[in-house]
Amino acid sequence: MAVRVQFENSNEVGVFSKLTNAYCLVGIGASENFYSAFEGELADVIPVVHASVAGCRIIGRLCVGNRHGLIVPSTTTDQELQHIRNSLPDSVKMQRVEERLSALGNVVACNDYVALVHPDLDRETEEILADVLKVEVFHQTVAGNVLVGTNCALSNRGGLLHPRTSIEDQDELSSLLQVPLVAGTVNRGSDVVGAGMVVNDWIAFCGLDTTSTELSVIESVFKLGEGQPSAIATTMRSTLFERYFK
Amino acid sequence: MRLEKCYFCSTTIYPGHGIVFVRNDCKMFRFCRSKCHKNFKMRRNPRRTKWTKAFRKAAGKELAIDTTFEFEKKRHVPVKYNRELWSKTVKAMKRIEEIRSKRQNLHIKNRLKPDPQLRKELDLKEVKQGITLITPPVEKKRLGRKIPQVMQEPESMETGE
Repeated sequence: MAVRVQFENSNEVGVFSKLTNAYCLVGIGASENFYSAFEGELADVIPVVHASVAGCRIIGRLCVGNRHGLIVPSTTTDQELQHIRNSLPDSVKMQRVEERLSALGNVVACNDYVALVHPDLDRETEEILADVLKVEVFHQTVAGNVLVGTNCALSNRGGLLHPRTSIEDQDELSSLLQVPLVAGTVNRGSDVVGAGMVVNDWIAFCGLDTTSTELSVIESVFKLGEGQPSAIATTMRSTLFERYFK
Repeated sequence: MRLEKCYFCSTTIYPGHGIVFVRNDCKMFRFCRSKCHKNFKMRRNPRRTKWTKAFRKAAGKELAIDTTFEFEKKRHVPVKYNRELWSKTVKAMKRIEEIRSKRQNLHIKNRLKPDPQLRKELDLKEVKQGITLITPPVEKKRLGRKIPQVMQEPESMETGE
């Protein structure tokens, strides 16, 4: 299932939240609307936690994590580190890394098995990533852009890439990740896919501007709910035609 | 609230004090006051500047290598809150502080003791110089010339002292 939400009039949902299969971190906003949208969907399955990193609410861009662990940048204060640790389940490992590129969410894109990272990321950080998140690490770019975390959204079942990713790149990434990938947009044509949405294996949250077409592409590539991949060609066909050719 | 250490003089920096310099490789240099910042800008090495903690440790003036220093570290892997663990830790901190100050005091005490080799040399020198004072005057008169010979073997004289 894919849900449309908004964080204080901003559509960049992936910036203010971090969603994985084991937990969900939500930035501290002025109102609880954003938080309760997540809580309503997830509260009985995984912990949904208010968090900040280095006093900022852009946690989705600053930290990286999956089912096995969470990695936060060196700017995280001790209190925040302790708070997140206390709120997460014991099975999730947590670590702070001394890395020059402190916006880890922008430079790393990962699911539970594989991580794509920025070509300039430290070797040490890479090892910590492999160790804590239990992933295989690949230095990659998406559509010639080094900020892989910003430009793609990954789950264990699929991935959405920057719309200008070439077919060859898609094939290469898809063979590395071993999941089907699609180039697409969110939030009515925004190409920063990673910042515009968050996804795990059963649910996705996108900005309020996301069109129904984009939503159905997301549902089909991440295999959320009823939207199966074949749906694009069959059931969705008429709606797509209606939207664009009427 | 984190109490940072000054890069130059290693004193504690409380929130709202000092200044931070961030180099373009992301290394952070914190300074407790303008004195330390200026010294850094003058490219002085804290290990060679006499008044810093780094110098005192490097020169062996203070206790530098000890297990009690291993506890105070920036930790990157947090531990889940556990009341028992925390109260134990707080108790341990006090005890460790006690042990550390004891060891530091002992180190300084040992350092202030005169060097045994040097002390021996000084003693010998004194004996050589003052041997004439304790030899009986009659003997001195009678032997006359022999005194220089006695002075050459001060070891035996030491026991007689």
